[in-house]
Amino acid sequence: MIRAGSRLWSRGAAARALATSAGRLGLPEAPEPSPHVDATTQAEKPPLVISSAPVLRGCHLAIPSHRTAVQAWVESLRHYDDRHVGLADLHPDVFAVMPRVDILHTVAVWQRNYKRISYAKVKTRAEVRGGGKKPWAQKGSGRARHGSIRSPLWRGGGIIHGPRGPTSYYYMLPMKVRVLGLKVALTAKLMQDNLHVVDGLDMPTFDPQYLADLAQYRRWGQSVLIVDVNKMPENITKAAASLKTITLVPALGLNVYSLLKYETLVLTLDTLAFLEEKLLWHDSRYTALYPFHLPYSDFP
Amino acid sequence: MAAASRGGGGGPKALELLRALPRVSLVNLRPNPGAKKSERRRGRGRHGGKKSGRGHKGQRQRGNRPRLGFEGGQTPFYLIIPKYGYNEGHSHRRQYHPLSLQKLQYLIDLGRVDPTQPIDLTQLTNARGVTIQPLKRDYGVQLVEKGADNFSAKVNIEVQMASELAIAAIEKNGGVITTGFYDPRSLEILCKPIPFFLRGQPIPKRMLPPEDLVRYYTDAKNRGYLANPSNIPEARLELAKKYGYVLPDISKDELFQMLSTRKDPRQIFFGLAPGWVVNMSEKKILKPTDERLLRYYSS
Repeated sequence: MIRAGSRLWSRGAAARALATSAGRLGLPEAPEPSPHVDATTQAEKPPLVISSAPVLRGCHLAIPSHRTAVQAWVESLRHYDDRHVGLADLHPDVFAVMPRVDILHTVAVWQRNYKRISYAKVKTRAEVRGGGKKPWAQKGSGRARHGSIRSPLWRGGGIIHGPRGPTSYYYMLPMKVRVLGLKVALTAKLMQDNLHVVDGLDMPTFDPQYLADLAQYRRWGQSVLIVDVNKMPENITKAAASLKTITLVPALGLNVYSLLKYETLVLTLDTLAFLEEKLLWHDSRYTALYPFHLPYSDFP
Repeated sequence: MAAASRGGGGGPKALELLRALPRVSLVNLRPNPGAKKSERRRGRGRHGGKKSGRGHKGQRQRGNRPRLGFEGGQTPFYLIIPKYGYNEGHSHRRQYHPLSLQKLQYLIDLGRVDPTQPIDLTQLTNARGVTIQPLKRDYGVQLVEKGADNFSAKVNIEVQMASELAIAAIEKNGGVITTGFYDPRSLEILCKPIPFFLRGQPIPKRMLPPEDLVRYYTDAKNRGYLANPSNIPEARLELAKKYGYVLPDISKDELFQMLSTRKDPRQIFFGLAPGWVVNMSEKKILKPTDERLLRYYSS
């Protein structure tokens, strides 16, 4: 209850902040929230401007009979308010899987650690310079008995169980776990209203301010990750190059860590088809006889 | 997250729950409760770690215990028991992965194995029905009787060993069964043909079986590939009489040509002879032209 309440509060605050900034920029203001905050007024009801030729994208791959497709609005970047260009059907086995947050944790931790090589190394008593000679005789001096001046007891002596040499933290998670991680991340983005589908990345201008204002007006969030399979048009590349919080990424570079780091995800229709095909293939493939990069005749 | 721990009552309820929860991000991730058990570290307790699980004085605490198995001077157990060769030569023993008729029927029913083509170890491996590890002394596949009552598929199958009842079950349904020997190198090539073709080496000829297996493969009762072909129909009739079924006449079958295809004793693949080189990238087959090579590969 407290969490739901905090979400409503934060949305209200964002809406109020957004209204003032939009007014400053001369754009038409988003609906002003009433002073009395409750669930009905907070539910956003933007004017539904549906074009006469809506872009309808059906799911190309077969959906199991016991499940139905989940849907998302198709938007466009051509105009700052082009939010209802069409409707896209998304495959439930990619965009509506069980929300396994523990798998997201596993995959994110793996992404952080598998590349890690720790270069820390300290010297043991054998490697520290000196310390071969017995400092003083065993008996008679009145001092404690010692065999070398570089023993771990001594100041400047060797370290016993310190980090030894470059250590690799490399390990591989099973392929299907990594694939499931991507599916869970996409599901979480869709279910929490952070996924936006765009028909293409065509922009009317290469002005970075246009892109930033568009993201702000449409309440996309603090950071946006835009994914495309094809070569991205010049306008958006130039616009996003100077923006810090909006990033362009090719579809092959999509990963769980980036999906969780960026608040909003924007996919194109081609990316949807690509992701669905690649991620669903693992559900019904044979196990590998030999590495997948070698040719197989019975599956791609 | 709450969704994972409460287990939402199924997919749709969990997704509805997710919609009301805060945004999943890098700061919200945690493993499932009980997934990560922290290890027990010795020497970190109260009173400065104290004995750290080593006990009190003596050899135990001081790390001077004798070797494992020492019994204080009494002749230890591992010396008093006499040796016997239970595992002697285990790494030279041939192993045959069992394939039940039930599994074969299952693969055919699911469409993973095509009964209208000769069934080979390659087909079975591609269908992931068996996994053969030639490096672990596997010499192939043996056909086992389990599921013989419900077996009803007409197939031309080639295995490495087969029991009598399995042979009977296959022939009762109008199929053909052959047993053939593959030496480890040929077996590896047979099970994983594509990595072999990518090596660019010519297909080797299959070696003949060792002495102790020659008898098995020259016997028509086992449908051996080196047996005299004229003995096989008699053996089929004998088996039919023994198990009491009518032997169907396969020569009148429409698939007779497919059912009667058998491999040459030196051949590894159907349709490819030893000595040929398969070029996968250019989709070409290169055949040797030198007389000595031809003589060698056809011997």
